[in-house]
Amino acid sequence: MKNLAFTLISFLITKYQKYFSTGRPQKCKYYPSCSNYTLLAIEEFGVKGLFMSVWRLMRCNPFSNGGVDYPSDVSRVKLKERLMA
Amino acid sequence: MSAILNPLYSAVSWVMITFHNLLGFTNNEDLQWSVGIIGLVVLIRIILIPLFVKQIKSQRALTALQPHMKAIQKKHKDDRQKQSEEMMKLYKEHKTNPFASCFPILAQAPIFFALFTVLNGISKNKPHGFLKGEYLLSAQEAHFFGAPLSGTFLGSTDSRTKLVAILLIVFMSATTFTTQRQLMVKGMPKMDASNNMMLQQQKIMLYLFPVIFAVTGVNFPVGVLIYWSTTNLWTWGQQFYVIKRNPTPGSPAYEELQKKKAAKGLPPSNSNDSANGENGTTVVEEPKGQRVQPRKKKKRR
Repeated sequence: MKNLAFTLISFLITKYQKYFSTGRPQKCKYYPSCSNYTLLAIEEFGVKGLFMSVWRLMRCNPFSNGGVDYPSDVSRVKLKERLMA
Repeated sequence: MSAILNPLYSAVSWVMITFHNLLGFTNNEDLQWSVGIIGLVVLIRIILIPLFVKQIKSQRALTALQPHMKAIQKKHKDDRQKQSEEMMKLYKEHKTNPFASCFPILAQAPIFFALFTVLNGISKNKPHGFLKGEYLLSAQEAHFFGAPLSGTFLGSTDSRTKLVAILLIVFMSATTFTTQRQLMVKGMPKMDASNNMMLQQQKIMLYLFPVIFAVTGVNFPVGVLIYWSTTNLWTWGQQFYVIKRNPTPGSPAYEELQKKKAAKGLPPSNSNDSANGENGTTVVEEPKGQRVQPRKKKKRR
């Protein structure tokens, strides 16, 4: 059940990335973007990752200066592998 | 969920009722309720103006970081991850992040949902927030150019309602289309071949969005369509103003403005960034270290 929910979230995010956000100006102040962060976080941390993503979204506000922010060092490597592929 | 939505219902309905009551002297319920919705949009967008100005300012401040950015792009040509990381670090260091940020965009969704529910509640005789009792009854009677605020294109048999709904949907699609097109044609720096894919995707969006509006719009109450049309019109106007008065450096609109200024004998503007030389010859100022932001001195608002 939990896995199903996470699969659904990931599915929706990838569809959003593919059909909605590409071709529009970047919105996110962080790297990786909030959507990529969520994908990485729930994959690695599950429920805790979901809370991390909510916290990240709240930090991505007009008063923040953004920056580099990964869920973990492991996810940084993971994203690198994905970008290389 | 209702813990988040209930206060929003109250807020949305309160604003609508306040505008409705403010116009009580007109004794025209149709006008009062229509203005209630439009007033809600205007209020939200006015609240958002400072955020918009802040974003534009940090975008313009980027011209001063151009040499750094070019250096990063060159240094990490083959590593997109590293390149993005370094860029973000640079923005953070200089405290000018040009991006709009995710939260406000996501936060707008519940507001829109709340409005949708409140307006839908009118047609279903369901009170939400302060919109109950007498107010609910009077809102049910309110019309916009002859179409009830709660009527939808698909849910109504009245040809007048269908006509008004269709006109609003066309207006919504047209404003979205022109806003996007205006940005692409005039407001953005010219794209080179490396941005070709992005340009292609933007073109797809340009035509796809009006279609999406048309498909979803037929299910929305006239009140929601009014809300949406007003927001779109506001976005268009705001962008028109920015492109005309404070265009992105490098964009066709920017060149136009410079030509106009030259014709009047005025010095070329640098959109409040005095450090940025116009002809690209004086750009290389203070290549390293902490740069003092010139815009800080000039605190408007």
